[in-house]
Amino acid sequence: MAAQSYGLVATFDSAPAIYEAAKKVRDAGYKHWDCITPFPIHGLDGAMGLKRSIVPRFSLVGGLCGFSVGMGLIYFTSAIDYPLIVGGKPFFSPLYAFPVAYELTILFTAFATIFGMFFTNRLPMHYHPVLKLDRIADAQDDKFLIVIESRDPKFNAAHTQALLEAAGGKAIAEIEA
Amino acid sequence: MSTHAATASSSLPAETAAPAGASKALVVGIVGILLTAAGLFVPGNGKVIALTWLVGLSFWVAIAIGMLLLVMIHHIFDASWSVVLRRQFEHGLSAFKWLGLLFVPLLVATWVKPGSVWKWTNLDYQLHGHGTVGEDILYVKKAAFLNPTMLTVMTVAFFGLWMFLSARLRKASFTQDTDGDIKWTFHNRVTAAAGLFFTALTLTAASIYWIKSLEYHWFSTMYGVWFFANCARGALAIGVLVLLWLYARGDLKGILNTNHMHSVGQLVFAFTVFWAYISFSQYFLIWGANIPEETFWYNLREINADGFANQWKWVGMALLFGHFLFPFLYLLSYKNKIIHSRIKFIVICILATILLDMCYNILPALKDAHGDAKPFLSLNLLWVATSVIGIGGVCVWSYLRSFATTKLIPIRDPRIGECLTHHE
Repeated sequence: MAAQSYGLVATFDSAPAIYEAAKKVRDAGYKHWDCITPFPIHGLDGAMGLKRSIVPRFSLVGGLCGFSVGMGLIYFTSAIDYPLIVGGKPFFSPLYAFPVAYELTILFTAFATIFGMFFTNRLPMHYHPVLKLDRIADAQDDKFLIVIESRDPKFNAAHTQALLEAAGGKAIAEIEA
Repeated sequence: MSTHAATASSSLPAETAAPAGASKALVVGIVGILLTAAGLFVPGNGKVIALTWLVGLSFWVAIAIGMLLLVMIHHIFDASWSVVLRRQFEHGLSAFKWLGLLFVPLLVATWVKPGSVWKWTNLDYQLHGHGTVGEDILYVKKAAFLNPTMLTVMTVAFFGLWMFLSARLRKASFTQDTDGDIKWTFHNRVTAAAGLFFTALTLTAASIYWIKSLEYHWFSTMYGVWFFANCARGALAIGVLVLLWLYARGDLKGILNTNHMHSVGQLVFAFTVFWAYISFSQYFLIWGANIPEETFWYNLREINADGFANQWKWVGMALLFGHFLFPFLYLLSYKNKIIHSRIKFIVICILATILLDMCYNILPALKDAHGDAKPFLSLNLLWVATSVIGIGGVCVWSYLRSFATTKLIPIRDPRIGECLTHHE
């Protein structure tokens, strides 16, 4: 029984080659595909047509929550639950609550950023089909891979293979899911 | 790296036409200065003119010090992305000698008529219901620092140091354009290592002598840092405006990219938070300790002797929201840092609020008969405007004159290649 296909993989020999190939795949309208490179290639995100990360939105929400929780906690404890006069100051003032609210802003922002990053990357991910490829080791050394997934609406085994060939890809092969 | 540099020097339009506006800027500057001087003929206006002139000077001196610091910080970190921006700051540094010259009237006024700017320069100055300055124990204890001779010597020393450092940094950088010798980079690194230390000390002392001593009873250990925050913010804001201006003219097309704007925008953002941090700390410590020797400074800026709020309270609120909260939220966005019209808007806001911050720190030293601060909204703002425009015109003229003498970017800086290909 033939295993289900995850997609097609092609090997490239240099960073400029994969950079140019990525532009071609992007312009062909593919959405579910990726580049696997041994090191970060500056500008590749642009060549792949990737948008900026949405993680900062998680950070912003985390920060706002942290600030509100800090202010709210101090307001509740010192003005409602157990009011005490300290140093002739009002029961509650945003001034003295600020350092704590500020620390909680930072803490919650950090948590939201980390967990937002895990969420958007779908981590932890214990299995990925490309890890079965023999050449994945080369892609951590001096080779560059493009993987186009078969779930992409534009995916068509013959056309996609032709595109990767035209883009200069070598050793084009199918990946089992 | 060397290949990048070679490519850069051969393919980029590093030579640039001198902007024609230099003489116009000088005319604007002189008109502003003359209008401010004309204010001296209004009877009883002497102290107003002195303090509004001090506002204008503090604003532009802060920006020049900020440029000096950012150039030295660039060298000490061996930074690469900011090479293009650094050259514009180096032109800005040429203004120190003129700023020093424009400070002279305040020193002359102090010697000719003691107490006309800083009340402690006149020992017979009548404090509001507390005898004279000379009888005041808080003055006597500080008399070794706060006297006209020390003021003059220190002011000359401050400007001397800033002019010396500026001249060294400029000469080394401009010479490297012609001979391409790496030694100038090392030379500037040494200047920066020593210069940062002394600039930090002198800017702190300058803010204490010129601004904080207007209320010499007051204590605040945050004051020098407060001034530093405005220095850095002012220089970055002007730096962004200069980059955008050069880009719009076409000079920096193909040189300035999105990542440069992002990086400089992040610094503008960082110093926005820094300003808030130190300004809040100053207020918070004084509010928490609640000692009359310290709280009077903020009381003066919030309520009159009759207990009612005065206009300075709203200026303080404008600083809280306009100098921190609004730019902070605005600059969180990536797009607001990289889209030219958007970052231009916020740096202009920041420059305006730096000026407001200077007014907030200096102008309440003008008191009425009850010892209350004179209101913010008054004819004094006219003299603030003429001072800022007058001194600013001279600074712009000095910048443009220097701009015409060298290449647009330091084409033989060892980091220029990295700068031109700056990426995230």
